[in-house]
Amino acid sequence: METVLNLDHMSKLYSNGRGARNITFSVQRGEVVGLLGPNGSGKTTIMKSITGLCQPTAGRITVFGADAVTQREQALAKVGALIEQPALFENLTAQDHLRMAARYYPQVDQARVDKVLEIVGLSQYKKERCGKFSLGMKQRMGLALALISEPELMILDEPTNGLDIEATVEIREIIIRLAKEKGVTFLVASHLASEIEKMCSKVLVLHEGEMLSFDTKEEALRLNPSLEDYFLAKVRDKKGSVVL
Amino acid sequence: MQQFLANLKNECFKLSKRKKYLVLLIIGSAICVASALRIVIANYITGGGVSRQAVLGGLTSSNLLFFLMIFLPLMAIMASCDLFVGEQGDHTIRFSLMRPVGKGKLFFSKAVAVFLLCVVDLAVMFLVSALTQVVLGGGTGGILSSLGACLLDLIPLAVLILFFCLINQLVKGPSLTVLLCVVLYVAFIALGTYMPAIGGLLFTGYLRWHNLWIGVTLPFHSLLSRIGLLAGYGLVFGCGGFLLFERKEG
Repeated sequence: METVLNLDHMSKLYSNGRGARNITFSVQRGEVVGLLGPNGSGKTTIMKSITGLCQPTAGRITVFGADAVTQREQALAKVGALIEQPALFENLTAQDHLRMAARYYPQVDQARVDKVLEIVGLSQYKKERCGKFSLGMKQRMGLALALISEPELMILDEPTNGLDIEATVEIREIIIRLAKEKGVTFLVASHLASEIEKMCSKVLVLHEGEMLSFDTKEEALRLNPSLEDYFLAKVRDKKGSVVL
Repeated sequence: MQQFLANLKNECFKLSKRKKYLVLLIIGSAICVASALRIVIANYITGGGVSRQAVLGGLTSSNLLFFLMIFLPLMAIMASCDLFVGEQGDHTIRFSLMRPVGKGKLFFSKAVAVFLLCVVDLAVMFLVSALTQVVLGGGTGGILSSLGACLLDLIPLAVLILFFCLINQLVKGPSLTVLLCVVLYVAFIALGTYMPAIGGLLFTGYLRWHNLWIGVTLPFHSLLSRIGLLAGYGLVFGCGGFLLFERKEG
């Protein structure tokens, strides 16, 4: 299997001491990997480091074999990302955003722009300014921007944030379908274990910037009734080892 | 190069979608027309003894001073703040940072977009001035030399834009950045005006350097040292700005 993403002892520490420490894991093509951890556990920091929004303080990140820091263009060529809130210009329309994003990828044409708008259910709002969008619509727009280049690796930070139940299920189905049918690899962060459980094939548990485990979902659920219990067990193990 | 051009198009598109630049351009053009009308009216009130050709002959070149010293620096400050510190403030810079484009290409395409905005504005206001001069009976005298002056003055303007781009990497808030750019620009101009010895070493002293080429032409070796000085400033501002931009986190 082809390794799509590799983090080798990656650390990113902020001046306040928070961040992510010594993270090592690999993601193979077609996998849906979930980053599970509470707020402040380092999920977003890892994703920001992969997409070049911040530079690791130690270690190395390779995306499709290219170094994420020194070979930015090659590393991000097949990556689509949605991190924290979508980056939207309030005075531009949904269509303007997608056309702007399409300029970076020669293979993306107007048909793809229209298709992506249809996938995320924003076709009828394509000429509306994003400043007037609701939180859920902005989130859908962020997903559309991540999908525009038909990426082979998608990095999604809390993708269902702000969405209603129906839209949450829809987004989840899109992720599962793209992974199964097109072999798209996903790295999805969430603080909700149930969310990760429903769509991921592998789970990486993070707590206070440290990586506690990286298992397949089957392995995680072998001894635990749910991912929530798995997460709590890992955190308890960590705290127990600190006490000892 | 393709990624650079893609980002350049995007930056230009973003600037074109901000109405304030169009409004400012209209105001600038109106000022050009108003200055011509002021000359004509003053001439009429004072009896109209001097021919229109004589009073309006140098309209484009006299307006050039307003374009280069006030209008275009103001545009450059606003546009650079919108594209750098403004986008960093509301995190919209992530739109381009998460795309397959190098940070160097990002930085310089933004600077080029600001430069292109100034070039378009200069071209429009030059045309308005030239047309006003011709329509009001000032003839075509001085228009060609003014065109040459405009083209020459684009070089120090590019250096000034790189300076503003560098300032944008030093502070965080858009308001503070605008203030700092304006204060430093005015301070450098004032320094050059009141201390001519220093003025010759400052890049702002060459914003109207067409005078050195078109007016009293300096010997070539003397011009060469000034070209070198401007190139040096451009390199320092460009490299400094890029280095700071590269270290910033999205």
